[in-house]
Amino acid sequence: MLIVLLISSVAVFYAIRLSGGDATAAALPGSATEEFREEFRARIGLDKPIYLQYFAYMGKILKGDPGHSITNNASLVEMLKEHGKNSLVLGGAAFALVFLIGVPLGVLASLRRNSWADHGIMSFSIAGMAIPNFWLALLAIWLFASTFRILPAAGCCSGKQLILPAIVLAFEGIALTVRMTRSAMIENQNNDFVRTLRAGGLSEWRVMGKHVLRNAMIPIISLAGLRIGQIVGYALIVEQIFSWPGIGQALVTAVLRRDYPVAQFFSLVLVVLVVLGNWLADTGYTLANPRLRRSR
Amino acid sequence: MNTSDKSLFTRAIQWEQELIVHEETLRANPWRKRFQSVFRNKMLLTGVILGLVVLGLALLGPLFYDADYARQSLRNAHKPPLYKGYLLGTDAFGRDMAIRLFVGFRVSLFVAAAVTALSLLVGVALGMIGGYVGGSTDRVVRSSTDFIWGFPLILVAVLLVGGLGEGLFPVILAVGIVNVAAITRVVRGEVVVLKEREFVEAARAAGVSRFRIMWRHLLPNVLAPALIMASYLIAVAVIAEAALSFIGLGAQPPLPSLGKMIADGRGFLRINHWEATVPGVGIVVLVLAVSMIGDGLRDHFDPRLRHERGRKKLK
Repeated sequence: MLIVLLISSVAVFYAIRLSGGDATAAALPGSATEEFREEFRARIGLDKPIYLQYFAYMGKILKGDPGHSITNNASLVEMLKEHGKNSLVLGGAAFALVFLIGVPLGVLASLRRNSWADHGIMSFSIAGMAIPNFWLALLAIWLFASTFRILPAAGCCSGKQLILPAIVLAFEGIALTVRMTRSAMIENQNNDFVRTLRAGGLSEWRVMGKHVLRNAMIPIISLAGLRIGQIVGYALIVEQIFSWPGIGQALVTAVLRRDYPVAQFFSLVLVVLVVLGNWLADTGYTLANPRLRRSR
Repeated sequence: MNTSDKSLFTRAIQWEQELIVHEETLRANPWRKRFQSVFRNKMLLTGVILGLVVLGLALLGPLFYDADYARQSLRNAHKPPLYKGYLLGTDAFGRDMAIRLFVGFRVSLFVAAAVTALSLLVGVALGMIGGYVGGSTDRVVRSSTDFIWGFPLILVAVLLVGGLGEGLFPVILAVGIVNVAAITRVVRGEVVVLKEREFVEAARAAGVSRFRIMWRHLLPNVLAPALIMASYLIAVAVIAEAALSFIGLGAQPPLPSLGKMIADGRGFLRINHWEATVPGVGIVVLVLAVSMIGDGLRDHFDPRLRHERGRKKLK
């Protein structure tokens, strides 16, 4: 896991540094002379060999000083605090929605298998995976903000403004979770212990709610880490659409403006988040399943 | 013999007769078999028809519909469809939406084709080499694909665009890299199983070279799963290109891309919603077509699923 972090930080660093565009073009006015540009590059360390830049950069980050934006000179730590908070609110809301909506719908579909409710939920789930989320976002804005005018179209950070982006961000995750929950529930309903419990006279509600659901939740909880990566990826787009000032929005803006310290730092933050999520998914499986824990 | 047994028996005879008729028609016309199974698979058929419509519009649209996708006419901005010779209306700059849609399809399909070609070529080669050679080569292939596969596609793309600048090429490269990882994983998994099979061992014992074993014996066997995976990835590529163009990192103006068109039109939903809905519907149709073809192909080639379908019929 540490190795993965190391490799990905190098990859992020090199990817951003490949930059064909000149970093000084973003920070200095067009009339700046070539000598002045050279001096500027030397001042922010762009003239040294790239591996030295990497070590200097990582050293600075570990000391807690990732530097400043070169477009507006804002401190990156301050930016991270502000944007990070917004992103956490949005991402957290979406993450919660994935499970709060996805699991109950999946359970419902599995209990009423082949009923209209099941078919409805499953076709909603298929649609959720086929519709690109930026298009979904637009439809949502059109419907709820333009036509009915019950929710604001964009902005931050009131509760009302959170609703649309959180739902759009969570949509594909919900669709996936519904499918996974449904098939896990159905699979577990065939277990021997279900028959035993029923024979023992336990109510259907308790058999399903307590015993089958618990077993079905194992893969879903353990794969929750993967949803983090998914949400991080989509946040790049969804934050942009709803002008939600989070990390994703700051990153995309920085890339468009060639503000490489911001781009580098924020992509590093997101990459670390994704790596952590994947690692959680890897280890989560054993954590969520006591049987595997014992066999280790 | 009770009644249900009897009905089963008569049904069995019926099936057998149907089978004989079927086989006789096959003998008379061997090509029919291929098409018939495509026609039976409604999902695949719908997908192919939708896909052909989009492909036709992309290829033939600009030939028959004479307009320039970049020509602006501010006087004719924000017009609904069928306004004075504009088939699908105009956008904020008065550019013709119909021709922009057709060219947007071209861009989407071009990106998808480039990505798929790239990921198939590199992915199949890497997967076969890793799976067949094994050892440290395999370890490198496996860990690097696992590494890349772990990251969300959009994040990888944003990083690459940050390095290479905006445009279609970094988008193709980014989506390609992630899709190479996907195909490599599939192919490697197949090859690891295949190389233990007798026909590979026989070839090895007969002194056939590694390259030839891979080319002649393994490639035909991994092609079907790789192609099925690739057909899924086409949908991924189309969505990713549109999403990246939507946030301004993909196709650069004046080149139209479906994602960019949606982004341009979103400010004018109340004035003329067609500016966003036309490309939006276009992209949904394209993605649906591609994923239906993918699902249909999987049903068609995966024997396990075919069996399940057969079982369903028996009930």
